[in-house]
Amino acid sequence: MGAGVTGMAAWRIVLWIVLSIPAGLMIRALASGEALAMDLYHPSGELALRLMLLAMLVGPLIDIFRPNRFLRGWLAVRRNLGVAAFGYALLHLAFYVLDMRALAAMLDELSLPSIWTGWLSFVAMLAAASVSNDWAMRRLGRRWKRIQQAVYAAFVLAAIHWWLLDRNPVPALIHLAPLLVVWTARLTVNGRRKLNTKDVHP
Amino acid sequence: MNKRLKTFITILAGVTGISVAQPALADGDVVCGGGPRENWSSLREVRRAAWLERWEIIDVRIEGDCYEVYARTEQGHAIEAFFHPVTLEKLVVFRRGREIFRRQGFTG
Repeated sequence: MGAGVTGMAAWRIVLWIVLSIPAGLMIRALASGEALAMDLYHPSGELALRLMLLAMLVGPLIDIFRPNRFLRGWLAVRRNLGVAAFGYALLHLAFYVLDMRALAAMLDELSLPSIWTGWLSFVAMLAAASVSNDWAMRRLGRRWKRIQQAVYAAFVLAAIHWWLLDRNPVPALIHLAPLLVVWTARLTVNGRRKLNTKDVHP
Repeated sequence: MNKRLKTFITILAGVTGISVAQPALADGDVVCGGGPRENWSSLREVRRAAWLERWEIIDVRIEGDCYEVYARTEQGHAIEAFFHPVTLEKLVVFRRGREIFRRQGFTG
C-alpha cells in the first residue's frame, strides 16, 4: 500500500510537470516578446478546453467499457486534469487582462456575447475547481456532484465563446464531438445492458 | 468485443485524430482578393492607413490575402480590421468577433 501511494504520488508529480510545460512555453514566449498577449488567447483557451474534455470523457468511457487498467489510471488523474484545465483558463484570463490593460476596457466589452460567454464559462469552472478537493467532497456530500456538474455548462459556454470569436463553428464543434459520441454510446450500451438483464431474469 | 463497440472505437479514434490534427484555423477566413504579393502595398503603408483611422496599432499581419490590423480605437475598443493589400481600402472590421464595419458591396 505504502509503495503504491508513493508510486502514485511520483506519477502525479510527473503529470503536473507535463501539464505545466505548455504554460511555461507560453509565458516564456510572452516574456521574450516573441508573442503578444493576444497571440496566447488561442493556445491557452484551447488547451483549457481540451483538458476539460479529457476530464469529462473518462466517466462515460468507464460506463461503456467497464473499468480496465487504462481507464482506472485515467480516472485517478481526472481531478488533476480538471484542475489543470482551470489553471489554463486562469492563464487565458491573465493574458486577456494583460492585453486589455484597463478594467474599464474589459467592462466596456462585457456586453458582447463572445466575451460574456467566456466570463460565465470561467465562473462555472471556478465553481467546480473550488470544490475539487477531498475536504469539500466530504463536506458537501451529494451537493458536491451538483457543483461539479458546472463543468458541463463551462464546456458548452467555452465552445460558444470560441465559435463567436473565431467567426467559425468548426474548431469548437470538433471539440464537442467526442463528448457527443461517448454520451450516445453510453446511452446505447446502457439500453442494451438493461435488455440483457431482462432476458436473464424475466 | 462486440461489433458496436468496435464501430464506436473507430469513430472515437477518428474524432480524436481529427481534433488533434486540426491546425489552428485562421479566424473566419476573410477573402480580400489581394492578388499577387508583388503588387501589394508595403506594411508601412498599411500602418499609415490604420494610423489615419486614429487607431492605436497593436500589430499588422498578413492573413490569407489580406492585411489584418490589430488595433485599439479611440474609444479603447480592441478591433481586428482587414485592409485590401493593394488599394489599402478598409474592407471589414470586427470587434471580438462581431462585425462593426463592412465596406459597401464587400462580400469577402
